[in-house]
Amino acid sequence: MDAMDAQQVTADTRRFRIFRYKRGDEGGKHFDEFVVPVGPRTTLLEALLWIQLHRDRSLALRHSCLHASCGTCGLLANGREALACVTPVSDLGDEITVEPLANIPVLTDLVSDMGAFYARLPDRHPFLRASEFLPDADSPEGLSEYVRFEDCLECGLCLSACPVASTSRDYVGPGALTAAHRLLEDRRGADEQALLDWAAGPNGAWRCHAAYECTEVCPAGADPAGRIMAIRGELLRRRNGSER
Amino acid sequence: MSGTGVTELPGARERAAPGPVLHKGIGPAPSGWLDPRGRSLGGRAFALNRVTGLALVLYLYLHLGVLSILLFGASAWDDLLGVATSTAFLGLDVVLLFGLLFHGLNGIRVGLVGSGVAPDRQRVLFWAGAAVGGVVLAYGAFHVFGAG
Amino acid sequence: MSVLEIRPRPERARGYGTRSARVWWWTVGTGIALLVLVTVHMVAHHFVVDEAGGLRTYDQVLDYVGNPLILAIEALLLLTVTIHAMLGVRSVLLDFDWGPRARRLVDAGLWLLGVLTVLYGYVLLAVLAWRA
Repeated sequence: MDAMDAQQVTADTRRFRIFRYKRGDEGGKHFDEFVVPVGPRTTLLEALLWIQLHRDRSLALRHSCLHASCGTCGLLANGREALACVTPVSDLGDEITVEPLANIPVLTDLVSDMGAFYARLPDRHPFLRASEFLPDADSPEGLSEYVRFEDCLECGLCLSACPVASTSRDYVGPGALTAAHRLLEDRRGADEQALLDWAAGPNGAWRCHAAYECTEVCPAGADPAGRIMAIRGELLRRRNGSER
Repeated sequence: MSGTGVTELPGARERAAPGPVLHKGIGPAPSGWLDPRGRSLGGRAFALNRVTGLALVLYLYLHLGVLSILLFGASAWDDLLGVATSTAFLGLDVVLLFGLLFHGLNGIRVGLVGSGVAPDRQRVLFWAGAAVGGVVLAYGAFHVFGAG
Repeated sequence: MSVLEIRPRPERARGYGTRSARVWWWTVGTGIALLVLVTVHMVAHHFVVDEAGGLRTYDQVLDYVGNPLILAIEALLLLTVTIHAMLGVRSVLLDFDWGPRARRLVDAGLWLLGVLTVLYGYVLLAVLAWRA
């Protein structure tokens, strides 16, 4: 082991415990420790990339935009969901534990299989949008009401934070329900009743227990919990098909 | 390589297997809701709501059991009263009161928020409930220990 | 550009029709009722009696239960709290993801437990009221 890693943490360094897992590796899951030099504005992602560059080339992680707009670098830092690219190491203390997101299968090291997140989205949810601001968008409240949701990064932090998703694998989760609510606000041809039936199903909105962890950790301010409750309000209002 | 007609790359089967899923929680996955670490107010309130709820369900049966002693007549019941007014038991009564107050007041919050009535007010509702509950608990504890 | 489809309104009950919404209403409804009933129960039993600890002696209990209004309130309390309790336990158990068949078993089991609980409580109340 490198002499550097045996060092005590100094004012300029931090100790990182990184979750490691490789497929087909009989050693299984374990944590590796690294002592990393940091500066006053070092982000968690920069520290992880330093480890990858200077200590262990086999450390697998994902990132892309470096400014919290793509949602790729979601992970758990000291047990709490965060986007690594905008999380300052100075916020995390001297000993930092880094793990991949919870409730989503791990491919390797800090990389999650986001297919499991996307698979929960309602069937008609458009993954790609032809244009963000269409002139004849039919949202009655206007663009500002849904522009906030356009910020949803599909980063999966909400699913990781959700205590129900921690308990149950079948719950569709906050990301998927938020996507459904987004379509209810501005349907663009999506089947509203099908969406509501999907949300009202046994693994849908009724499984939320108002922990609001998802809203707490959402880096984009999409307020998943509030939207889930709005879906429930809508479900309760539709007594017998004659709306309102 | 097994003969499928397509040459498998080394390690393809391992890569195709589903990976481990990390769950927050102590022990097996269904305990995930119980773990308060790394969670904020709403998640902890939810966990405590469940814990108080389950404890109250147990108390319901305990209570029915204790009340069954009434069937055995006055002397059996009055004997019980001697035990039930001991300090330890009165202390447990205060714990029960806390459980009832927390579950009830947080329940109001969950009912309002979860019906879509006040979804953006969940924190305020929690602290309002905590304030009311604190006052009632203090008064109740005071009264239980005989001073009221 | 896609256009909102004009859809015929569904005939059947939707919001209330789905099981989960009904269960939610029952849980919230019994919860609201319990806020009142439990408060009345606690005040009437423990904050009105002079003995230390607020517990009634045998004779005081019989006096209390002999009053028909009180009996009705206690009976209603037992029914309401049992419903709320069973629904709460159901919510915890359903998170275990055991599958639709197990879900039906859980529902049946909790129905049974609830009915037995209420029946036992009513028998108890009836015996005490009779003695009073």
